[in-house]
Parts: sequence; C-alpha cells; structure tokens
Amino acid sequence: MAGPGTRAADLELRGITKRFGHVTALAGVDLTAYAGQVLAILGDNGAGKSTLIKIISGVYHQDDGEIRVDGNRVVFRSPADSRRAGVATVFQDLALVEVLDVSTNMFLGQFPRRGWFVDRKAMDSQSRAFLEEHKVTVASVKAEMGMLSGGQRQIVAIARAMRTGAGIVLLDEPTAALGVRETAHATNLIRDLRGRDTTVICVSHDMNFVFDVADRVQVMRLGRVAGVRDVAATTKDEIIGLITGSVSDQPAGELP
Amino acid sequence: MSQATAGRPSAGRTGGRTARSSQPGDRAQWSRYTQQAGLIACVLVLAAVFAARNGTFLSPSNLIELLRSATLYFIVACASTLVLVGGGLDFSIGAVYALGAVVTGLLMTHGTPWPLALLAGVAVGVGVGLANAAASIYLGVPPLIATLGTFFVAGGVAVVITGGTDVYGFPNAFINIGAGSVGGIPYLIFYAVIIGLIFHVVLERTVFGYNIRATGGNRGAAAANGIRVARLDMAMYATSGAVAALAGILGAARLSTASPSAGGASLTFQVVTAVIIGGTSLFGGIGTIAGSALGAILFAEINNGLQVINVDPLYQNIFIGVILVAAVAIDQYRRKRRYRT
Repeated sequence: MAGPGTRAADLELRGITKRFGHVTALAGVDLTAYAGQVLAILGDNGAGKSTLIKIISGVYHQDDGEIRVDGNRVVFRSPADSRRAGVATVFQDLALVEVLDVSTNMFLGQFPRRGWFVDRKAMDSQSRAFLEEHKVTVASVKAEMGMLSGGQRQIVAIARAMRTGAGIVLLDEPTAALGVRETAHATNLIRDLRGRDTTVICVSHDMNFVFDVADRVQVMRLGRVAGVRDVAATTKDEIIGLITGSVSDQPAGELP
Repeated sequence: MSQATAGRPSAGRTGGRTARSSQPGDRAQWSRYTQQAGLIACVLVLAAVFAARNGTFLSPSNLIELLRSATLYFIVACASTLVLVGGGLDFSIGAVYALGAVVTGLLMTHGTPWPLALLAGVAVGVGVGLANAAASIYLGVPPLIATLGTFFVAGGVAVVITGGTDVYGFPNAFINIGAGSVGGIPYLIFYAVIIGLIFHVVLERTVFGYNIRATGGNRGAAAANGIRVARLDMAMYATSGAVAALAGILGAARLSTASPSAGGASLTFQVVTAVIIGGTSLFGGIGTIAGSALGAILFAEINNGLQVINVDPLYQNIFIGVILVAAVAIDQYRRKRRYRT
C-alpha cells in the first residue's frame, strides 16, 4: 500500500476553512488521497464530513485554503468546475431525477451529443452495457428512476459516478440506505473503482463497511482532523477514540 | 424506503435479468400517453355532443375557425410548457403579449419598417423574460412573484406608452402575416404547427430540452451534475417572453389593431390552464407539447361548441374549472400509484 511520502497525492487539501455565519464548520482541514486507494472519512454528526465533501465537489467554496488535483491548484466555484477537474460525487441525496429514466440519469449533465441533439440510442446502449458489466439490476434503462427501490437508486448513483471515468470519486454515506446484499454490491463497486486506480473518498458512519473497504481512515472531529490512520495498522477502538475525542493527535490546547 | 428493498425478489436475485427485460420501461413510456388518451377521448366526446346538437359544428369552416382560435393560445402555451417542465412559472405572458404588440404597433405607425418593428417587439419580450429570470436567480424572488411583478409592470408600460388607446394603421404586408390564408387555411394555423413542432423537438430531443427537463425534475440534482441551471433559466424565460410577444404581434396583425388591453390575466390563466390540462406538472419535469396542443384544442372546442349550440358562453369557465381540477386530480392519482416516494 502506498502511503504518504512514497508518491504524489492525487487529491490534496491544505488548510480548508469554511464558516457559515458564526459557525466554523471546518477549521484548517488537510486531506491527502491517493489513486488506487480508498480513503474513508469518519466522524460524529457535525464533525464537518459533509461540508468537506461539498467543498471538494464544488457545492460550497472554502473561505480559506487550497485544493490541488494531481499537484495543480484548482478553484471550484460550482459542481461543474469540480466535474471538469475529474471529480465525480455520489451525494447523500443521490442527485437523481426521479421523473427521468435510468439512462438519462446515468448521463445527467454529460449527454452524448449529435450536434444539438441527444444521442438517445448511444445513451441507452452504453447505460445498458455499463450496468450489465457491473451486475446492476434494473428492469430497464428506460424505467423511470422513481420506480426503483432506494437500494437500486443508490447503486445506480454509484454506477453513474463510475461511468464518468472520473479520476476521483467521492461517496457521501454510500451504504446509509442499503440492505445487506446491496451493501455487499456497493462494496464490490468501490473495490472495482480502486482496482481501476481511481482515488476514492468515502464518508461513512458504518465502521464495519469502512474496515472492510478502506485503505486509510481520516477521522474528523468538531471541524478539525482528529487523526489519519492506515486501516491495516489501527483498531476500531482507536478510531472510536478519535471520533469521541478520547484519543487525539493534536495538542490538547488546539482543540476547541 | 430502504428497508423494503432487501426483500424484493426482482431487484437482482435472478442474475440473468440484468438490465434486460423492458416491460416496466415500456409501461413508463406508455403511461406518458394515457392522460393524453383521456384528453383525446374528452375532445371526441364533446365533439359528438356538440355535433349532435348542431351539425355545423363539424363543418370544415367551423373546424378551421376552431383551430384558428386555438393558435395564439397554443403558441404561447408551447413556451409555457417549456417553462413549467423546467420547474418555472411565467405569469407575465399575458402582459408581454400586449406589450409586444403595442411596441411593434407604435414603431410601425412612427415609420419603422414592419420587420424591424416586429423584431423590436420580440426583443422587448426577451427583455421581460431576462428580467424574470434575473429576479428569481439573483434576488431569490420565487418565479410566481417575479413574473406577477413583471405582469403588472409590462401591462402598465403598455398602457402608458399608448395612453390606453388602441394602435392601428399598419402596413398591409404586416396585416397579411396575421390575417392571410392559403387554400382557406389561415397562416396562423401553419405558424402554430411549425412552432409546436420546433418546441416538441427541442423538448424531446435536444440537449437543451433534456437539461430543462432534468432541472425541472430535480433542480439540485441537475446543478450537482454540472448542468448550468441559472443559464437555463435565462434561456427559458427569454424564450417565454419572446414567444408571448410574438403571439401578441401576430394577434395584432390579425385584428389590424394593437390593443394594450389584449392578452392580460385571462390569457395568462387560460394558457397555464391549457398546459396543465395537457398533463404538464406544476412541479416540473413532466409535460409534453402534444398534451398542451390537446389542452389548447379542448379550450377552443368548449368555447366554440357552446356558441354553436347556443349556450351562453359565460358557462365556459364553469366547464374549464371542472376539467382543470379533474385533470390534475387524475394525474396525482396516477403518479401516486406509480412512484415510490
């Protein structure tokens, strides 16, 4: 497993700070993620996990700090900027359009074109082929999203992020709404991504899922980084300690 | 919703069915047309009732008159369908209809060549549309309020610049574009068909149309997936303003008069009602031009038919109100059965 220092980071955040009015959601947060690895972000409610994801995906813009992709500084003013830089995000609310069919959702924002027109045939056949390749079962790529179960929607949302071929994939609570079998499927999809040398960053509450799929864990607490660990070299107890604050990498005085 | 998924046998236990069977997809395609089938049935039943009471209802000249009376509403309804599918709402159309007409009319009576005057009238509509979009995007005013505001402003401007009186004395070439006909069929019907086809293709086939539908279906999801929703709003409302102004100008050409009191609230309400009766959702994402065409035809049919069978046209609104509520109630019922929430 490649660790910090052995190779250049594929996604690097330095000193990210984000305030909402008087609330400081993130206070000087660093993050480094590498291709072919899964970085899990853990933390209690309000630790700043979702805010961090939204900054990387361009939904929020940080008040301070910088983002680098492949060593190049990038500025995300919108989700479109983030996508252009090669970041695909699976949001917690999935960002699917329920009244539209599966293949349109698979290509949302990136429709295959023929001039001004959407190449519907290419879109359907590529969606079908991609979903089959990854054993995603939907009745039809022309079925409306709203007719699918919650688990199917989650899997389609992950498949969409894979389809874009993005070098960096963010997943916000990918297993929160899933049953046992679908969690296993999601885990397989994430392993596929890692196998394709994608940089995967995954926010989760699910400790078992994290220890199952992640290579490294970054624990957030009260808007700061409580610690970063290799999964192979840590224990659930230590991670829980970091989450609750009973274990800390930071000098006690720095914690709010 | 999540707990129910684990026990669903069809969700993937049978590995051979991977993205293969097309039945539910076909059903989804089919159900898009069932409301239109209901509308067609409604149009036909009413036609039978009117024809039974007075045979002239089905005469070619009456049917042409019926279609002609639907054209201007339908042209505006095409743009309104686009706006509603895109998750917006444009109440300013009735006033823009009048403003476009009087701007073009005044320019012509002051010596501007009619093609330029027509373009200027349409440009005013585009301006009102951009103001609508800007108010909702940058000031955070809901579209209902933004376009209600511009409804009053545009209507007020139309009255002020004309002094409240009709404008007339237009060149014949201009009058001909609205009042002319070929083979007994008014030009207006051809315009409506062409504009309807253009909007249909834009909405169903183009990247712009797909983006509009995605934005109306789930604005947050569209934006998160990189669709530039603010830019789409601009294009959508500008189109709505342009088309409303164009319809007003064509109406002025047909009547040889541009009236500041044309269109107004009644046009706004009739157009939005026709669009919704045609199956377009007030909540965005759902709707077709074909449905709006049927809605506009149903409107014109009721208006025309009640006159043909000598029923006081004042009864028209009672019919319309009942049909509107019934159409939306049926739509809600179907959607509840179809979607998991």
